[in-house]
Amino acid sequence: MSGPAASLQLPRAQGTRARRWRRVDAWTGRLPTAAWICAVVAFANAASWSLITPAFQAPDEPSHFAYVQDLAEAGTLPTSSSESFSPTEEAALADLDQREVRYSPQNHTISSAAQQRQLQRDLSLPLPRVGLSAGVAASEPPLYYALETLPYLDGSGGNILDSLALMRIFSALYAGLSALFVFLFLREALPAVRWAWTVGGLGVAFAPLLGLMSGAVNPDALLCAVSAALFYCLARGFRRGLTPRLALVTGLVIAAGLLTKLNFIGLIPGATLGLALLTVRARAVYGRVAWRSLALALTAALVPVGVYVLANILIDRSAYGLVASGIASFTAHGSELRELSYIWQFFLPRLPGMHNYFPGLPTTRKFWVDGFIGLYGWLDTVFPAWVYNIALIPLALLGALLTRALLANRHALRRRAAELIVYATLTIGLMMLVGASDYSGYPADIGNYAQPRYLLPVIALYGAAIALAARGAGRRWGPVAGTSILVLLIAHDIFSQLLEISRYYS
Amino acid sequence: MTLAAGLALTAIAVFVVLQRSPLTVAATNGVHAVSELKVVGQATVLCQPGQALPRDTSAIRLSFGAITGPKLVVTVLSGKRVITGGTTGSGWYGSAVTVSVRPLLRAYSNVTVCTHFGALTGDVGVLGERSGLASGDRGWVHGLLSVTYLRPGHRSWWSLAGSVIDHIALGRGASGIWIVFAIVALIASAIALASLALTRELK
Repeated sequence: MSGPAASLQLPRAQGTRARRWRRVDAWTGRLPTAAWICAVVAFANAASWSLITPAFQAPDEPSHFAYVQDLAEAGTLPTSSSESFSPTEEAALADLDQREVRYSPQNHTISSAAQQRQLQRDLSLPLPRVGLSAGVAASEPPLYYALETLPYLDGSGGNILDSLALMRIFSALYAGLSALFVFLFLREALPAVRWAWTVGGLGVAFAPLLGLMSGAVNPDALLCAVSAALFYCLARGFRRGLTPRLALVTGLVIAAGLLTKLNFIGLIPGATLGLALLTVRARAVYGRVAWRSLALALTAALVPVGVYVLANILIDRSAYGLVASGIASFTAHGSELRELSYIWQFFLPRLPGMHNYFPGLPTTRKFWVDGFIGLYGWLDTVFPAWVYNIALIPLALLGALLTRALLANRHALRRRAAELIVYATLTIGLMMLVGASDYSGYPADIGNYAQPRYLLPVIALYGAAIALAARGAGRRWGPVAGTSILVLLIAHDIFSQLLEISRYYS
Repeated sequence: MTLAAGLALTAIAVFVVLQRSPLTVAATNGVHAVSELKVVGQATVLCQPGQALPRDTSAIRLSFGAITGPKLVVTVLSGKRVITGGTTGSGWYGSAVTVSVRPLLRAYSNVTVCTHFGALTGDVGVLGERSGLASGDRGWVHGLLSVTYLRPGHRSWWSLAGSVIDHIALGRGASGIWIVFAIVALIASAIALASLALTRELK
């Protein structure tokens, strides 16, 4: 229901309300109010997760916290990937029974006033705050951590748990950005039905996985926001053309992604293809300016990363984290075909003739579908088994609605094949990276990377799937379907938070 | 209308779920998961005799550690008679796995708990204490597996709310039950805002 024709049909009272709503839109800037609401809802949801999740009980949080602490206290990047952190962090981990609780759902967080007093006492001791070890985070680029030093230093007057709480709230802001960019992506990619942008944006805002990761100290939060921004830039380019300004912004977004987390490399093939296709298209309209736009995008993307790599070389640090070792591991286990077969089976059912790398384990269902339905804490917090079976029913319904929407719009999809190929390349690139990372642990540590959070960078497509599923119910029933889907996602979020509470505090 | 009905249904579902009782520890076999006794690398059976199962046991928590655990079939034997059993699917993660079993109508002593490991994707660590013997189909395991027997508690989640709230308040810099109010306020505002946006957009 958008456009002049639609608004003319509104009764007087509704017309007044709509005008008021548009005035709010004008007041909040060029973005629709619904976009801001999606952002605020995502922030509130992530902030709630940040309060529910016990300190240091989100994936790899002790390592990411240690990175920020080293950067803030010593002004240097961590030099060791050992899990021996600063004395003050170690004291907190010990008093919180962190290592006894993680991976062990039978163990809960501290529950007595005496334990709390011990914790407060130890945290008030003048223990050193520098460790120079950041565990699994040590090889990551520094953008997220540098930004997190702001809330860390702001809370440094208190103890490190005060800093951690502030850092988590700061991280929750990225959930807001993610939902905002998903809304904007949907506005560009699916412009026909205005309400579907809101359904998709709110669906993302209530995603428990986004809440969990953004409500913790973890670069996945910023990575998700930056990736959603990249999807938005590309969708805008395909709809409106690649202007020099958009090219510059896209380049900066790519640079931010590369400086946030190594996993962003998985999106580079898709981003490159997208920029190339947009340049070819823009050449017809802008002529030579199109090449200038491409150069601008590449410069904006590569210069900051180049400076980072150069700085690493100068201080004798690995040039770009684990990338070098990642490339080496790509061929470490024999043929590339074997690795491709592994990566295929990591996500999809095995094809005839493939060696079975996951005997007795339906990876699509167990790793990705069940993981999406509910896998929290240190991957040790799950719903009862029946929940995963029941959840297949609404998932199948959503899949059917999505398929119906895609079939109904197949002609439009064909016209936009180039754009769709770019989104597919972004997704496949990321999946290849995650699968290859898991293969590097084969055969001893299979499944270390089987975590749906690694797919958060393509959350924009999740939003699109929700919006399209709602539209798949048709013009008449679409709004009802959209509302029902959103209620379902709210319920999913609430029960996921209750699950987390029961895991740690029962 | 759809939104109001959906949210009301969600609230009812939450209410009903919280009426249920969480599983509580009925007993343990007194063995702590302090050592890795064995690494299971292929499909096998591991049995531990001399176990005592309390009445109403409806789940058994076994101290197996894995990244992608295999399908497990647990059978509890009194002599050669199967008194209960259950299955858990593959893909579990962590240092313990809980297998739901048919609830026991009475207590049993001196029974054998056997675990059949399905096809393995990765190694599984058997965790317990290095004293006594457990049997495996490829020889004896030196040590005892840590096992916990669970049954539904007598108190609902609602009646446990007070202790859960007190528990949430701990382990933080600024401790206190204000945290629970903040969580409720954040979620309530998120739902209210989302409802507002959706209602406006769908008009």
